[in-house]
Amino acid sequence: MQPEHTILVIDDEEVVLDSCTQVLAGATCRVLTAAGGAQGLKLIEESPPDLVFVDLKMPGLSGFDILEIIRGRYPHMVVIVITGYATVSSAIEAMKKGAFDFLPKPFTPEELRLIARRGLEHHRLLQQTLALRREKELLRENFAAIVSHELKSPLGALQQNLYALTDELADRLSHEQQARMERLKSRLDDVLKLIHSWLRVFSVDINKLKDTFQPLAVAGVLAKAVETVQPHATRKAIEIVPKVAGPLPDVLGDEGSLTEVLVNLLGNAVKYSFPDSQILVTAEAHGGQVQIAVIDRGVGIAKEDLPHLFQDFIRGQKQPEGAAGCGLGLAISRRIVEVHGGSINVDSEPGQGSTFRICLPAAPPRPDASATAECKV
Amino acid sequence: MSQSKRLLIIDDDPDFVAGIKSILVKAKYEVDVAYNPKDGFQALKSKAYDLLLLDVMMGRGAEGIMIARKLGKDPNLRDLPVLIITGIREQMAFLFPGQAVHPHFVNVDELVEKPVAPKLLLEKVEALLKTAATRKAQSK
Repeated sequence: MQPEHTILVIDDEEVVLDSCTQVLAGATCRVLTAAGGAQGLKLIEESPPDLVFVDLKMPGLSGFDILEIIRGRYPHMVVIVITGYATVSSAIEAMKKGAFDFLPKPFTPEELRLIARRGLEHHRLLQQTLALRREKELLRENFAAIVSHELKSPLGALQQNLYALTDELADRLSHEQQARMERLKSRLDDVLKLIHSWLRVFSVDINKLKDTFQPLAVAGVLAKAVETVQPHATRKAIEIVPKVAGPLPDVLGDEGSLTEVLVNLLGNAVKYSFPDSQILVTAEAHGGQVQIAVIDRGVGIAKEDLPHLFQDFIRGQKQPEGAAGCGLGLAISRRIVEVHGGSINVDSEPGQGSTFRICLPAAPPRPDASATAECKV
Repeated sequence: MSQSKRLLIIDDDPDFVAGIKSILVKAKYEVDVAYNPKDGFQALKSKAYDLLLLDVMMGRGAEGIMIARKLGKDPNLRDLPVLIITGIREQMAFLFPGQAVHPHFVNVDELVEKPVAPKLLLEKVEALLKTAATRKAQSK
């Protein structure tokens, strides 16, 4: 019979390894032992155990080092630290670094059994939570995709017939009736756009964008986005001022979706700016990253709205007259930026304006560029 | 200008078909309809058409794409211009990763999104017919 659980004990004292094996090993539990950190990590890599006991004080990799490495590679692994110098401070430090519990030496077999049982139970609950979360995610995606498609097709057919009928009846409808037809079409159009955004957020696997990443010049993407938003800005007499600081490194990405992010941020800036104002767009290299900021002097965002801004279906309270949208733009933007390995954040002061900042990792220099650099040397 | 061009629509949604057919008929095109891929292919084999309007999502999936691929391989039908009409433009890129959003399946094709405004529909149809005619003239 395959044992239900695997426990790994990492300790440089052989007596501890032996006694732990003696106490914990049984029909349902397999105990692996490692006399040092490197060996322990190798065993974890081969087959991740359900629970890890690790001694804090060992030659070579210390328990803290191991804890940190495990946290980084296996964030959901349950680790209990063992130590001979059971001081409060090392206990606190271990817990801060993500240890589940703390076992002071010397310990009785009963203490060991108890803490192991609790550790395994915690492992089981963690796994269950993860499985449920995955299931929920899948359900949400599938549900949204099905609903959207089922809604989109009939609405599309409806709209198509409205188009056709408006055309066919053009000379028979009164002005008032024609206006009503136009309103119907525009209402339907809004619903279709909403479903479209919905589909983008839920059903499209945004990670697939990575398949077609290529080196992009940020200035070019920026110029394209400014061009798209320019007409809206002009209508409100808003000036968009781009400031690109020197030659920037390329970023690795998908041009279309990155442009979409910038159009979205610029569009928001225009929407929430006062007429006759300026919007500043800056781009600069900053420690291996390219930082782009869109700065407006508009209505700003209330403090309580800031934490939810990049979540799905959130729109700030303060809506200027006639602002349309469903609150998905920033959520989509965040997803796109994150797929690019970057981050997006916002600073805002109500009445003063908002600054949206995107950081994207700089791409390694293009091969041809490095070749010319070498020639110069 | 003689406009008795003959078009075929393959789409499994009768209501949607009604909405584009009336626009095309009003513009003096002769329009046939097939409501599934099988009838559609049969019609293409039995009659000569000047242009095909093709839905993507039919039946069990992207069956429209299968028709387009089949056309691309058929020496008699390869030059038929195709207007692909899709409700899933944004997903096209994801269905065919690494390809442009507008995948070319036959020599002359174009993509429009459902629903399509009458003016745009007629523009696309005219443009495709024109491109196909030019190609034909050049190959002769």
